[in-house]
Amino acid sequence: MKSLHLIKPYFSENRYLIIFGLICLIAVDILQLIIPIIIKWAVDDLTLFNIDLIGLSSYALYVVGIAVMIGLFRYGWRRCLIGTSRRAEEGLRNLLFAHIQTLSASYFNRVKTGDLMAHATNDIQHVRMAIGMGMVALTDAVVLGTAAIGFMLYINKLLTLIVLIPMPFVVIGARFFSKKMHRLYGEVQKTFGDLTEAVRERFAGIRIIKAYNRERDESLKLKAISSNYIDKNLRLARITGSFFPMMLLFSNLSLAILLYLGGRQTIVLTITPGDFVAFISYIGLLTWPMMAMGWVINLIQRGRASLDRIDRILQTRPDIVDMPGAKSITGLSGNITFANVSFAYKHRNLPVLNEINITLDKGKTLGIVGPPGSGKTTLISLIPRLFDVSSGRISIDGIDIPQIRVFDLRSLISFMPQEPFLFASTIRENILFGNNKIKNSELITATKKAYLYDTIKLFHNGFETAIGEKGVILSGGQKQRIALARALLKEAPVLIFDDPISQVDLETGNDIINSIKSLAGEKTIIIVSHRLSAVRFADQIIALDKGKIVESGTHAELMEYDKYYAKTYRLQEIEEELNAH
Amino acid sequence: MRTDFGYFEEKKLGKPYDVKLLRRLYPFTWPYKIFFAGSILLVVFITLLDLSLPYVTKIAIDRYIVPQITPDKFEKRDSAQHKTGHKTGHKTRSLKADMSDPEIKTVVNNYPDLFKIDGDFAYIPFDKLSRLDKKELAVLRKADLSGITGITSIFLAIIIINFGLNFIRIMIMEYTGQKIMHDLRMRLFTHIQGLSIAFFNRNPVGRLVTRVTNDIQNMQELFTSVIAFVFKDLFLLIGIALVLLSINLRLALVSFAVLPFVVYASIHFSVRARDAFRDLRIKIAQINTRLAETIEGIKVIQLFLHEKKNYHNFARLNHENYLTGMKQVRIFAVFMPVVELLGAIALAVIIYYGGGGVIAESISLGALVAFIAYMKMFFRPIRDIAATYNIMQNAMASAERIFQILDNRESMPQPVIGPSSRFSSLEKIHEITLEDVSFGYVTDETVLKEISFKLVAGETVAVVGRTGSGKTTLINLIARFYDPVSGRITINGIDIKNYPTSVVRSKMALVMQEPFLFSGTIRDNIRQGKTDISEEMMEQVLKTSNCKTLINRLPEGIDTILSERGASISSGERQLISIARAFANNPDLIILDEATSYIDSETEHSIQEALFNLMKNRTSIIVAHRLSTARHADRIIVLHKGKIIEIGSHVELIKRKGLYFRFNQFQMSQPSTIIR
Repeated sequence: MKSLHLIKPYFSENRYLIIFGLICLIAVDILQLIIPIIIKWAVDDLTLFNIDLIGLSSYALYVVGIAVMIGLFRYGWRRCLIGTSRRAEEGLRNLLFAHIQTLSASYFNRVKTGDLMAHATNDIQHVRMAIGMGMVALTDAVVLGTAAIGFMLYINKLLTLIVLIPMPFVVIGARFFSKKMHRLYGEVQKTFGDLTEAVRERFAGIRIIKAYNRERDESLKLKAISSNYIDKNLRLARITGSFFPMMLLFSNLSLAILLYLGGRQTIVLTITPGDFVAFISYIGLLTWPMMAMGWVINLIQRGRASLDRIDRILQTRPDIVDMPGAKSITGLSGNITFANVSFAYKHRNLPVLNEINITLDKGKTLGIVGPPGSGKTTLISLIPRLFDVSSGRISIDGIDIPQIRVFDLRSLISFMPQEPFLFASTIRENILFGNNKIKNSELITATKKAYLYDTIKLFHNGFETAIGEKGVILSGGQKQRIALARALLKEAPVLIFDDPISQVDLETGNDIINSIKSLAGEKTIIIVSHRLSAVRFADQIIALDKGKIVESGTHAELMEYDKYYAKTYRLQEIEEELNAH
Repeated sequence: MRTDFGYFEEKKLGKPYDVKLLRRLYPFTWPYKIFFAGSILLVVFITLLDLSLPYVTKIAIDRYIVPQITPDKFEKRDSAQHKTGHKTGHKTRSLKADMSDPEIKTVVNNYPDLFKIDGDFAYIPFDKLSRLDKKELAVLRKADLSGITGITSIFLAIIIINFGLNFIRIMIMEYTGQKIMHDLRMRLFTHIQGLSIAFFNRNPVGRLVTRVTNDIQNMQELFTSVIAFVFKDLFLLIGIALVLLSINLRLALVSFAVLPFVVYASIHFSVRARDAFRDLRIKIAQINTRLAETIEGIKVIQLFLHEKKNYHNFARLNHENYLTGMKQVRIFAVFMPVVELLGAIALAVIIYYGGGGVIAESISLGALVAFIAYMKMFFRPIRDIAATYNIMQNAMASAERIFQILDNRESMPQPVIGPSSRFSSLEKIHEITLEDVSFGYVTDETVLKEISFKLVAGETVAVVGRTGSGKTTLINLIARFYDPVSGRITINGIDIKNYPTSVVRSKMALVMQEPFLFSGTIRDNIRQGKTDISEEMMEQVLKTSNCKTLINRLPEGIDTILSERGASISSGERQLISIARAFANNPDLIILDEATSYIDSETEHSIQEALFNLMKNRTSIIVAHRLSTARHADRIIVLHKGKIIEIGSHVELIKRKGLYFRFNQFQMSQPSTIIR
């Protein structure tokens, strides 16, 4: 168990709690065993009429007294042991979360969100169960089991041994069945996955289904999948359905043996009637630890498997890390150079970028245009090292970017991604984005520059408006302007905008471009845009096609060149003119 | 993808018991009434068997192990003393021996001082039995010994039958539950499938999938766990109560004195436990949301160096989850011991009061032991009550959401027609006419304004215009995914609303921008359930749709299974298969939403060719993104802001020097340039 080191800290951190909890648990177990003894005394006395009401009331009081103690101790172990497992759950989840945040963008291209979610919830819960219930059930099984058997042995050795014959079968049975159950449960889960996928596919393709009159056939297909799911469930039910009755059967078999042999021994006075009754109680007590034995082993195994899975994620090293010898460098001014940069996504052979060379001096503006899929977004993602280049080098002020610590590199750059990702909090928090030192006046200036201020004023709660998951209450243009304000507020020498005005109307778009333009000269700016008027003012414009730079120059030069840029520009001009009507 | 987890609605939960919902579930259970009746019958039997076990033990004790008190032959009893129940030798339990048996007589004669003989019977006090040796005892009590053998056989028979019946009951319950859920799932799926496209636009796929899968699963729990609980445990509780009352009315009533406390504790607890369960679920949902948000927004987080802040937010949420969890732990830590304590009090009452009864000879020793055993059985179901309550509530919330969808009647209105009606089939589409058609997805927002044009058989019409001009909406109306808000669409002069949608669509084929293929073989995807396609026809379809190269490349050929991440075929190749699918349908009208771009340009040419083959001798309406496509059309419709601003052939429109002309001006040299 390599991954055990993950939960060790929680054991040592809470060791006093755990010890106290275990003492409570053992106390509960022992006290529980005393009650059958009291019952035995009472029965024996009653058999011989050797007792009066006062004697009986003292027995009754013992029972209540012990029950009260059991109650207190039980509260104690539940709080301490289960509480510790909750603590470990919290800690593990924090650990996992912190780690996931360090992983690079390419990791998330490979791993499905759903899987990660499953690790953070299900797997961690499995670990919690294994820790909490595992500890309890194990202690219970050992203490209660040995003590009950001990008491029984004390009463009558031979009878105990014979009566206990079915008990190992309970343990073996529980092990065997729960293994089988686990496997079948896996199959049920798999078919459930199939079912989910089948339903998803049909709803996603509903237009085709309707267009081709496929409704009935699709229903039939789903029916078959659903029936398969039922079959798998019934197979599982055959096991679970026989498991618990069988466990009951085994413990009842012990009772039957007791009834026969114990009854006979009582008749010939080898044991007293009280002993006989106490045996009945002990067998009742033993059933649970025996079943728990089988159950707890599975619980722990499941927890261990989950812990291993979590550990595997934690072992994943982020692709983008500080290179050995990377320096903390601040105060760079923002001269960006691409030298023969090529890039291909891992596990895919097609190069996305091919031999890119760019020199962008501090304070200059670069415009990037090109058809969809030509590599524009990939190109700008390389600068803050969301991905690392496959070959060639990118440098800032002559320093290769891997030589700069990631934190410092990203501090240099204010980046507005294509997808304006907003978080489910207020507008203010989304713009400030943790940058709490910003003054209110600065916030207002930034929102004004992003042409967002007037919109915010229209909201009832202004900056404090909660925008819902991913900003559901906002329009595409509003979301984009929030992302823009966020980028404008970040104090950085390099500004990168990925299609900043795709969602806003023409007029607002022009205003926003003017805002960006006002920063030119002071900051190094890179703008990717499908609306070519947005890059017109740039000192240098490049057009990408299939990962290569096909055109490069100023607006005037490219218009002269009369290729992609010029044609698209004129086309858009007509459209804009038309839309202005 | 967050909708896949279906947790965003967690805040809204229904009441645990909603009679209306239960009544609506009732029709689904009706076909399985025999199974229900059977399992209820089984539950009754099983409960009786469960209850009989302690009773059998009681009989064994009373009849054989510790015999009933026989009239005291040693000392005269004083009734006053008896009442106060002094312990001494005033009262003794004696064993009665039948002297007619010669063996027993021998034993009795061996100990004349211990036995008191009264006619045919000899009596010996219990505490003196130990003076006899084991063999003699066995002889003396041989009737008891053989009685034990008999009663053990009964006990064994009961436990084996109990095992069998339990297994059968569980299987029946599971089968019935699964079957009902299957029916409900199919009903829900068919219902959703029949709803209009407008419904699908409003409801994300993930949410709908959750309804059909997870919500139904929750209901399954209701059937297997809750109904099993209600029937089994409730029967057991009532059964135990009845048995206790019949064994000894007074003792039963006295021990029931704890019941009001148990009921109070259970109600109090289940309410608090429910709240704790619910809080915990909401917290987990929030954790999931935050996690999903972080994963999806990881780029922004990393670019803005927001990791630390984000971690603190998460840690705070996670700690809240911990605190809520601890609250639940505390609630359970109180409830479980309280229930146990109440059980122990009941036991104490039985010992004191029942023991008194034994002394007073109003209760047998066996009855007392049975009482103790029954009380233990009594408290078991009570401990599970909170979990059951929670499952119940979950199921009810799911049921509510399921019925909400089933109540949605938003499907395309279908005409009521008989099989002989002239609208029950459509021979051929001769012409399609749009008359003043206006449409908007939401009120106040018109996407199409007073569109009128006629599409004649054999004609190819291209629709051009920039994004958002209403091109896709136009073809959605022709495929009758929506009905116009005003105006009408006619086929051969008859309003398409007069035909069932299936009749209209059987004459059309839709080729979408994003080719949507189902997982399954290529053959199934092309055939679309039409089994009457012969091999030769299929061959023809593959040839004309340019799929031959693809099929030959794949080792499994046409029977290659397409899956989400399976066979490696490109998006262009997927488009070819979707064109083959349209071919196989042999439609009169082709509705084509041209793709803006294909990732692999190699296939682009073969797609163009396949489309050309498809449209040959057919009527087609194309949403064109390439001017080259538009140029080959017989007529071109130029849409702008939902209105037709130009209509005519390529030559006519070029002459007109309008918008289309100006589009073309810049694209002469690059005919495949995309209009964006």
